[in-house]
Amino acid sequence: MNDNNTELLIDAFANTLEIEKNMVNDHLEYQGIPQWDSITHMILISEIENTFHIEIDADDVLEMNSFQKTKEILSKYNL
Amino acid sequence: MGLLKQMADNDHLNFLDVVTGNTFSLEEMFFAIPEIGALDKHLVFLYLDNKIESTAIYLSFLGTGHSTVLLSNGLDISLKESLEAEYTPSAIFDQTRPAIHGYEQNVLKNSWSTTTLFIGYHSPTRVHPNCKVLLSTSGTTGSPKFVKLSESNLLENAKSICAYLPITREDITPLNLPLFYSYGLSVLHTNAISGGTMVCGLPDILQKDFWNLMDKHGFTSIAGVPFIYEMLNRIGFLKKQYPSLRYISQAGGNLSHNIKEKFNHYCLQNKMDFYVMYGQTEASARISYVPPESLESKITSIGIPIKNGKLSLDPETGELLYSGPNVFGGYSEKKQDLSNWEDIEVLRTGDLAKMDEDGFYFIIGRLKRFVKIFGNRVNLDEIERFLKTTLDIGLVACIGIEDQFILVSHCENQVDDTEIKKALFEKFKIHQTSVKVQLLNEMPLTSNGKVDYKKITADKD
Repeated sequence: MNDNNTELLIDAFANTLEIEKNMVNDHLEYQGIPQWDSITHMILISEIENTFHIEIDADDVLEMNSFQKTKEILSKYNL
Repeated sequence: MGLLKQMADNDHLNFLDVVTGNTFSLEEMFFAIPEIGALDKHLVFLYLDNKIESTAIYLSFLGTGHSTVLLSNGLDISLKESLEAEYTPSAIFDQTRPAIHGYEQNVLKNSWSTTTLFIGYHSPTRVHPNCKVLLSTSGTTGSPKFVKLSESNLLENAKSICAYLPITREDITPLNLPLFYSYGLSVLHTNAISGGTMVCGLPDILQKDFWNLMDKHGFTSIAGVPFIYEMLNRIGFLKKQYPSLRYISQAGGNLSHNIKEKFNHYCLQNKMDFYVMYGQTEASARISYVPPESLESKITSIGIPIKNGKLSLDPETGELLYSGPNVFGGYSEKKQDLSNWEDIEVLRTGDLAKMDEDGFYFIIGRLKRFVKIFGNRVNLDEIERFLKTTLDIGLVACIGIEDQFILVSHCENQVDDTEIKKALFEKFKIHQTSVKVQLLNEMPLTSNGKVDYKKITADKD
């Protein structure tokens, strides 16, 4: 994932989870903070879809359970 | 005969902890509860999560004379403290706090776990003998408004539900809904009475581990609110097969028509039953259900009343009315309210409904101004009052749009959208994407000077 896209992804996380950008790092995990719960996860998925104009596969919705994992998976989508 | 006795009579009942893989009998679940004070009925706050200890603590208190308030242990500490200041419980179970001011630590033990109960030896809050369980009307905002339920309410409702759900002694039932939520509590009660294995300690359905555990243990049912069904739909549930699954149930608000149809078709194809149900915390959970064989033809219906329950319509307003042995004993908004119990003959649901020629009921609108956002009940009047006082907005109108978002309309140039969204998130935990704000030149008013909600809704697009 290039720097520009990484930056966009950080924005998507920070906006959806309503957290500071510097909290969006490789240690950030689903349910690791109160803000990242099932509701915000679903919102996050659609925010990422809108940001990059992609459709995320059903199976990947469960796989994207950390910021790091999300970056890895998004590389499948040529980002 | 009490709720716990009914569970004890079920010789197939056992509790599986997926965290450790251990299985316990009902007897083994009980923690020995120490004497709390001279009274045999004290007010106890239980802050619960999905772990087996929470289920065990709840069941342990069910065997005492005490009255328990069931709350989420994820509530903000400030909300917990303000609830405790209002109600002064004699004992508190909360695994998230190492100490609570004014309370002493007591060790609770059973054969497999040790935990802490905080006991305060201040003068106890008076609680009416009928109050057994109190549930919050809003799980996340820590609203001090509680629904008062008796043991008989809970037991009668469980028996009525058992009369239509195909629960068997061989069932493996995941307790995937929280116990502080009336639907989740009813899943525990009904299955503990008529089912087999209760599965505790589950991760949520967005964790891959939930699905691994489903494969491993062979869950026989899943219970979900509309948001859970939306997630199941999104994560590809309908593209796979689950041989162990016999039925799924849905309650807690209106599931959108197209998703309901998808699940119904899936269930018909896979020989599973899909139970669409309707209820309120004020009815200990359940009021009506749609028999699965009728769902296809009554897809938008809330169904027929549960056993021993009666539905009718207010002849003047069309409001849906319910009566039955599961109707609560009134609300509690402050400590003093706990000492009385109202015998409520008729529960006014706040929903407007009609009945078809087959006796099936359909919701056509709401009398009370409530919306459900992600399964949380939100009182629109309360939000308006809050916005008026905290942001100094003169006229503000909040409208729920299809249980999807709240439309906030106002005429104050100096108040910006983010300020409103931020305030609603902080106070009510309503996510910003569930709020839309529009600035109007002028607030539409009815002839008697009240906000014209119909006009705002009509002008929306």
